[in-house]
Amino acid sequence: MEPRNGDKPHLPPPSLWPVGFAIGIACTLVGLVVSFPIGFGIGVAITVVFGFLWVRDVTRDYATPPPAPEHHPEPAAEPAPAIPASHGEAALPEPTPEELSTMPRSKFLEGATLGLGAVIGGAVTLPAAGLMILPAFVGQEQDEVDVGPLGNFAEGEWTIVTFLIDPEIGEVSRRTAYVRYNGLLEGKPSFTAVSNRCVHLGCPVQPSGLVQDEKQKKEKGAKGEEIRVIPVEGLSAFGCPCHGGAYDTEGNRTAGPPVRALDRYTFSIRNGRLHLGKTYSVSEVESQGAQALIKRYRLAGPGQHVDGIEKVLYPIQPPGR
Amino acid sequence: MASRRVEERREGFQRYKRDVKERGKPFFPYAMFHDTVMSLVVVAVIIALTCIWKYTAGGDGTEPGWLGPLYAEKADPATTNFVPRPDWYFYFLFYLLRIFKWPESVILGTVGIPTIALMLLLALPFIDLRRERRLLRRPVAIVASILVVLSMGVLTYKGATARESLGSAVLAAVPSWAKKQGFEGNRQAVAGAEIFAQVGCISCHSYINTGGGFAGAPDLTDIGSKQGKTAKYFADYVKNPSAFGNNQMPRYDRLGDENLRRLGLFLAASKGLK
Amino acid sequence: MARARSARREQIEKLALYPIDWLEERSGLVGGLKYFLLRKVPRDTNWFHTLGSATLTAFLVQAVTGVFLAMFYKPDPDKAYESIQHITNDVTLGWLVRGMHRWGASVFIILMFFHMARVFLFGAYKYPRELNWIIGVLLLALGMFEGFTGYLLPWDNTAYWATVVGININGTAPFLGPFIAQILTGGAEIGSETISRFYALHMLALPGAMFALIGLHLYLVIRLGVSSPPWSAEAAGAERAEPEPTGRAGLVSPGPRGAVGRPDA
Repeated sequence: MEPRNGDKPHLPPPSLWPVGFAIGIACTLVGLVVSFPIGFGIGVAITVVFGFLWVRDVTRDYATPPPAPEHHPEPAAEPAPAIPASHGEAALPEPTPEELSTMPRSKFLEGATLGLGAVIGGAVTLPAAGLMILPAFVGQEQDEVDVGPLGNFAEGEWTIVTFLIDPEIGEVSRRTAYVRYNGLLEGKPSFTAVSNRCVHLGCPVQPSGLVQDEKQKKEKGAKGEEIRVIPVEGLSAFGCPCHGGAYDTEGNRTAGPPVRALDRYTFSIRNGRLHLGKTYSVSEVESQGAQALIKRYRLAGPGQHVDGIEKVLYPIQPPGR
Repeated sequence: MASRRVEERREGFQRYKRDVKERGKPFFPYAMFHDTVMSLVVVAVIIALTCIWKYTAGGDGTEPGWLGPLYAEKADPATTNFVPRPDWYFYFLFYLLRIFKWPESVILGTVGIPTIALMLLLALPFIDLRRERRLLRRPVAIVASILVVLSMGVLTYKGATARESLGSAVLAAVPSWAKKQGFEGNRQAVAGAEIFAQVGCISCHSYINTGGGFAGAPDLTDIGSKQGKTAKYFADYVKNPSAFGNNQMPRYDRLGDENLRRLGLFLAASKGLK
Repeated sequence: MARARSARREQIEKLALYPIDWLEERSGLVGGLKYFLLRKVPRDTNWFHTLGSATLTAFLVQAVTGVFLAMFYKPDPDKAYESIQHITNDVTLGWLVRGMHRWGASVFIILMFFHMARVFLFGAYKYPRELNWIIGVLLLALGMFEGFTGYLLPWDNTAYWATVVGININGTAPFLGPFIAQILTGGAEIGSETISRFYALHMLALPGAMFALIGLHLYLVIRLGVSSPPWSAEAAGAERAEPEPTGRAGLVSPGPRGAVGRPDA
């Protein structure tokens, strides 16, 4: 590939004609498809013209030998003495040391680069981080849920009620509450509705009693979702299968690591149907049934104390719920 | 100006590098051969475990084989009879949570101890500044490693074998009870066994290696073979134990006569292991 | 005749080596690979030293099987379980890939612990390898977190409830706990945001971090060298002097080469 001694490869002079030639070919092909014969014709014309000019350029050297370069002697002018730009009459004023110290250009550029880099980094990362973090705290309110007609709840009897706490998101929001009708308190029905999520670490709490699956009833909720109501015979306590937590029938902790009583649901009655509302946390319950005195707190997560010394560890609960 | 200690260890490292340069062996093929063999063993073990898991699991994949089922049931956020357990390598943390039974100490088990352990691990090279590497001259290291291995092993084992006296866990044992006691064919007795498992009898009485939280409550595994007690006797007893002189045991009349009858049949059929 | 044959052989060799030389001239990578393969390690490296690369193999098994699983898995509460059933039952050798991923996870964690124990017992976390130990502990924590996030994905009962408890454990941390728990959950209750979040962590964020840290870990191993077993008589770096009476007579074991004192590095 290397040229042999003395041989120099022929290098064509620089020229723009090939550009025109290429444009001509492109026009020809496009014209063939889009605008035959006019576009095609124009393309052919351009191609031919520029092609001719290109070939003429390339072969120019072969046609006639290049003229011998004439030797023009340099006019022997006296060279001007070299002086630095800062000296002499037309000298540029040199920056004084004081001026140099305030905002020299390199420092400015350094700062600007880092600053702009930080801005770009922030502009990319912060929305992404915000997207990861913020939606978890927005729109988490819990609406009221219909759990079926009052007739399903006999006085003094416990039932397991499974319902969708947020019917919009479907089966993944299915929850269980243990509900007991306590009779009338000052003329109004009183219910105990206890959540089945253990307040130690959230495991599903089990009833200690005879679950009568054969007497299960299915109801339809407001959006057509399924609600299941299962009576429990002889429920005497609740127990958690994970770490040994135990609760009595009011949800008070009787054994194990749970840090407070079981959470409860508020309830309301509309059109003869029971509705479960917001969940709230309970530190303990005194007395029983309709006369229960419930020490109520804002809903806290499992394992988080709501009273006692350790409540200072959890001063702020996330918004929503 | 580096201290003498820093100088010494730098020298030591230089010595190491010189030794390796002069008398070391090239990584490939000497050490790399061992690495390759070991990696092959690892891959073979993984594949073997997979095959055993797949081919011993029965049914449609929900019956456990030697290594468990192919899948458990689909997630049910509203279950009332599932017993949650973590992956086996978290059993030690799981059991730690069971040990810390007092509500005030929960945070120790959940975040306190694991965080401290992680901090210790991270800070190890700054805690142990001695240059000694021979095990027999590192008593703290030996004791610490033995203690850690033993405690994690024990915690993992205890976590794996942790059992509940809760209804659902005991209920799962009823078929094996029926087989051992020989009353599988007797549907009423099996129904009685299921009632027995769920209403809390097992938190005081023991029955074939389960339950028995109260020392005064007798084991009921062979109660049916004692002195010809009939099913009716047992049903009446459970309905009102104080009528038979037992003031410790609560009444179970709220179960209803039908359920009490089944309980009685179950107890009468419990004649002891074959 | 022999000369022609060896000339021919030389030609063939040159032809075979041509692509390698081409690559080396343009990137320098071949030289790097040669250094990695042919570098010296102490004479007395033994089978215990294979635990590190065994762990790496297990991790790579997870990565590869994970990629294949990701082609079939659907991270949605309504579809996840069925997609796993589909992989196990319908996809050709899907059960093998899924099983390897599941059991590979356990093997990976066990090997990490064994490797950590080996490094601890050999004292190979001491100067100059402290940084490598810290990176290793971070890898352990990341690996356990990988296991935790991956465990939710099949969306069966064990997965769901183990995740409920795991998130609530994080929630019990003082002050920030409730917020951390809610960020992990992606809301107040576990739902489809949770499974997507865990999937993204399990598939992208954590493996990315682990690959980076593993790269750093390996770089340090190559740069700092592998330490000899501490009991070895010819441990690299051991001081080689005549046994002196140091008052610890009987405990010093002069090996065949007179290695005495600490086997340094």
